[in-house]
Amino acid sequence: MSDAENKLREVAQDLLSTGRAELVLGYENGSLPMTTRPCFVRSAEDVQRLVWNEFCTNNLAVYLPGLFARPANLRGEWVPPKVAIIVKGCDARSVVGHIKENQVDRERLTVIGVPCEGMADPEKAAAGAGGNALADVCLACTNPTPEVADIMIEVKARPAAGDDRLAKIREFEAKSPAERWAYFTEEVSKCIRCYACRQACPNCYCKVCFIDQGKPRWAGAGSDISDTIFFHIGRIFHQAGRCVECDACVRACPMGIDLRMFTVKLGEDVKDLFDYVPGLSVDEPPPLCAVDRDEENLNTEL
Amino acid sequence: MARGSMKKADFPKLVAAASENAAFVAPVDGPSGAEFAVIGPQDDVLFDFGNTKLPVKRHFFPQSEVLYQYANDEVRSAPLPEGKTILFGVRPCDVRSLLQLDKVFLDEAYVDPYYRERRENTLVISLACKDPAEPCFCTSVGCGPAAREGSDAIVFDLGDDLLFEAVSEKGEEFIRSQAETLSEPEAELVEKAEKAAAEAEAKLPKIEVEGIAEKLPGIFDSPVWQSIADRCLSCGICTFVCPTCHCFGIHDEKADEGGQRIRVQDGCMFLGFTVEASGHNPRILSGQRMRQRIMHKFRYTVENFSEIFCVGCGRCISSCPVNIDVRETIAEVMR
Repeated sequence: MSDAENKLREVAQDLLSTGRAELVLGYENGSLPMTTRPCFVRSAEDVQRLVWNEFCTNNLAVYLPGLFARPANLRGEWVPPKVAIIVKGCDARSVVGHIKENQVDRERLTVIGVPCEGMADPEKAAAGAGGNALADVCLACTNPTPEVADIMIEVKARPAAGDDRLAKIREFEAKSPAERWAYFTEEVSKCIRCYACRQACPNCYCKVCFIDQGKPRWAGAGSDISDTIFFHIGRIFHQAGRCVECDACVRACPMGIDLRMFTVKLGEDVKDLFDYVPGLSVDEPPPLCAVDRDEENLNTEL
Repeated sequence: MARGSMKKADFPKLVAAASENAAFVAPVDGPSGAEFAVIGPQDDVLFDFGNTKLPVKRHFFPQSEVLYQYANDEVRSAPLPEGKTILFGVRPCDVRSLLQLDKVFLDEAYVDPYYRERRENTLVISLACKDPAEPCFCTSVGCGPAAREGSDAIVFDLGDDLLFEAVSEKGEEFIRSQAETLSEPEAELVEKAEKAAAEAEAKLPKIEVEGIAEKLPGIFDSPVWQSIADRCLSCGICTFVCPTCHCFGIHDEKADEGGQRIRVQDGCMFLGFTVEASGHNPRILSGQRMRQRIMHKFRYTVENFSEIFCVGCGRCISSCPVNIDVRETIAEVMR
């Protein structure tokens, strides 16, 4: 058992037995080799289920907006739960996003940070990659250590990736618009509209997604490629300045669509235009939600 | 029943001959993994694959299909699908799912004409499994790595050789029609096929499902559903990859001068699946949706069609982003 795993169990035990948390979101072993899965621990006796290893890939922040939203079937008084969540560097950035977007009750949320050594790609690991089975997204990670944590587990993180992490994006940017469009349509044409990318994403917490709206109906529900393209453009653009590159969408997609390419590219655009990287600071206003009156390019003639 | 064998290297010849009168559909290495596609003799057919990423139901019950079109005062039914197809390389679990879907779409009370046309025009040649994947549990739900039922013919991949065995009359006819490539197999090959099937069968785990339909009514209000579904993301992967899930939604797509009515595969795990016109949603919780999915597969279909609608293909297990494992759910229910 790893050091971090022991410490996590101790912390969870403490939070649950002292009533500082009613629920700890963590990981337990999965039913398939080389997997873990999200685990909802509600009692101190259950902390033994918690594990920490290189397969703790899920971004558990995806559950927070739902846990802190008033249950739709409930009448009368409601007090939000006290939740503790185990986060890696990328997951912590999602939590920062949730705090900024008022999706969590900060007072009732305990963030347990684990500096991340990088997670394995089960496919690479199964192919016998041994120690070199790190997921591509982890090789490109800029913030392995959680930026926000109420409790930090003292373990060593892997070093942050350098600029070469954007090699594929730069290659994509260098292509002609026609080539980029061809790549985009080719990738999304694999889509079966299961919406797992949306459901796995901590940022996708809209009560009703634009693609599911009926009045008006923004896009058709069938297999017409233009409708599929429309869904993906909508989803990707809603991630501009918000995507923390946790790769939850990529891991969830059953069809292997290269979703990372497009969200990361858009993130780079936001960085260039607004000098903003999401999920690093709770105090920094999100550029697409904030207006600076003195901004040079502000167009006031609308 | 008739048998025939051939060298695997000669398979393109069989494809060439067979595709003279029919579209030849077989598993190939597609952009998202193994998938069925119309092929010709020049294409590489996959023999070593666990199973196709998406189930074979899509060939008969497409993700989206037009039911009718309208313009001004005129309404036109969508034309019935035409043309013969040879569907090669279907795993026995997926073949079993077709027999189950038949009970829904070819029910005597209402026969679905689009599904019926495709079924009647398709010859199904299954490919026996020699190496079941980790989440497979077909033998627990009445199927097996070399189950014949529902296939017109079954093929055994024996390394350099392929052994064909007819199951139906249509299959027998097919084997006879391929006399140029298929010859009478040596007894040794038949033995080898039987041995491979037995070995594959021995690798499969046994999940207890006996009496599950009778267990389920008693736990309708149990907290177990929410605890199984706590981590469910309410995406539709399990329903889309399931070979027996068959729910669909009806949508009208308007254009300036008319439009069309389409049906689109839908899934009970989506929050919006049961939203009523008033806005009320009787399945607002993920646990209620999980209960529906399990009840439908393991109780309602037993009541309506005397059969569990799960073929043990394991796709929902391997595709779930949060590892909700139906084998564990079954065990939980049986407890």
